[in-house]
Amino acid sequence: MSKQNKIKTKKTSSYIPLDSPIDRMHPMVKIYGVLCLGIGCAAFPFLWLSYAVVAFLFCVAWRAKLLGRFSKFIIAFAVPITCMLLIIQGLYSPKNVTVLADFGFARLGLEGVVYAFKTVGTLLVFLGGFYLMTTTTYPGKLVTAMQDAGLNSKAGYLVLASLNVVPQIQRRIAVIQEAQTARGVEVEGTMSTRFKAFLPIIGPTVMSSLVDVQERGMTLETRGFGVKDVRPTSFVALYLTPGEKAAKKVLVAFLIVCVLFAVFWALRPVLGLGV
Amino acid sequence: MRIEIRDLRHTYPTGEEALKGVSFTIEGVTPVAVVGQNGSGKTTLVKHFNRILSPTSGAVLIDGVETTKQSTAKWSKRVGYVFQNPDDQLFLNSVRKEFEFGPERVGVPAADIQKRLPEIAELCGLGDKLDSHTFDLTATQKKFCAIGSVMMMDPDVIIFDEPTCGQDVEGSRRLSEIIGHLEKRGKLCVTISHDMKFVAANFPRVVALCHGRVLIDGDSREVFAKPELLKKSFVSPPPISRVSLGMGFEKPAFSVDELVETMKARRRKMA
Repeated sequence: MSKQNKIKTKKTSSYIPLDSPIDRMHPMVKIYGVLCLGIGCAAFPFLWLSYAVVAFLFCVAWRAKLLGRFSKFIIAFAVPITCMLLIIQGLYSPKNVTVLADFGFARLGLEGVVYAFKTVGTLLVFLGGFYLMTTTTYPGKLVTAMQDAGLNSKAGYLVLASLNVVPQIQRRIAVIQEAQTARGVEVEGTMSTRFKAFLPIIGPTVMSSLVDVQERGMTLETRGFGVKDVRPTSFVALYLTPGEKAAKKVLVAFLIVCVLFAVFWALRPVLGLGV
Repeated sequence: MRIEIRDLRHTYPTGEEALKGVSFTIEGVTPVAVVGQNGSGKTTLVKHFNRILSPTSGAVLIDGVETTKQSTAKWSKRVGYVFQNPDDQLFLNSVRKEFEFGPERVGVPAADIQKRLPEIAELCGLGDKLDSHTFDLTATQKKFCAIGSVMMMDPDVIIFDEPTCGQDVEGSRRLSEIIGHLEKRGKLCVTISHDMKFVAANFPRVVALCHGRVLIDGDSREVFAKPELLKKSFVSPPPISRVSLGMGFEKPAFSVDELVETMKARRRKMA
């Protein structure tokens, strides 16, 4: 099986179509979820909240029928980054006062370890949230939701086009590569062979992409994309269910509580509540 | 020249089984047309001839050598492939450079390249366009530039993928001329086409594919005499052939003149 064929199988986006309650959920709720949970955890002064939210995300992943992939994604990210941060922050953070272990060449400090776990927790909430959002949301639905929320339709198109253009160019490169090998251009082998193949492949790719942009522009014009003073409707219709409305409120409330608590915690000395 | 296809199967990584056991042999230099509906496996099949694709199982042998033995670039010396879209192949800033590029890649001496150049340029109708930029060519000229640049490599086999696509009458005539020229020079020409008039006029042998299998393979007159079978692959013989078959002729006519001649002969017999 040649390399070219593999490229052709690449998907348009990271979306995995699976019928689940999370998939059917209004994309705006998911965006709220990622942002509110992420920012809330980042602001909250204790590290347990982030891990509680990560546990919650695992439940969401299970509901979305993505538990396996989600676990793999989280573990693949969490393990190396935790080790790295534990070494850097745990051993060398200037905040380190309490010594947990003495290795001779460096001391493991409690403050650094806590900081490392807090950072990893917050990152996991953000990344896990984004992962779940992108894998369970059809891009068209996401853009419609953003447009409903007031995003300019041109900006919306930009998001969709960039999602579509990349795999399209990849497919083109695969075809061009085949066409050039059929003219005697070696594309596999040593560095210098590959380098020689660069121009015959990149030339037609750039040119055809430029032509493609022109054609896209004309297509958009003929389909009324430039019409002014008209609010475009969308083929994808989205409605917020009462449950989703409530979920949005809960998420915002979570964010507010977290931020308020963070402010209160930071102002304790000033308020005279003792440290 | 001998191309032997042995129980060739190809499954794409998407799981789509494009070829489900194709076996036939092409020998000599008689032009061969590969026809069939979209998705019947035509392009997948011919892409095995120069190892752009490798068989999932089975084999393709060129003069007894399995295609998987060497890279596409190495095969390009013997098996030329003209892609459907010339924009995928052309990238240099003049027709002359495009013509020189392929043979230089496979190590043809400069003197030989210069000897071939005027003849092939003339054949492709680009004799006065050699120093034009490829982007300044019309769509038809671009196609012939791509064809010429492959012919310049002087391979023993040339594969054309949909050469008549987007061609006018003049372009089709020129293609016929090129196919004739290749046969005269002892080169095999294998062509994918949806244009049955073009196929009937230029290809004595027709292989029709249907859902990844050979539906019918043989002399074009015999193949086009079976419209019912061809229907399976949504191929219909040229209109003139259908008229002649409808009139009860044993063999389909491929041109108006032929039909008229057969009619006259029939009348004379009856009289």
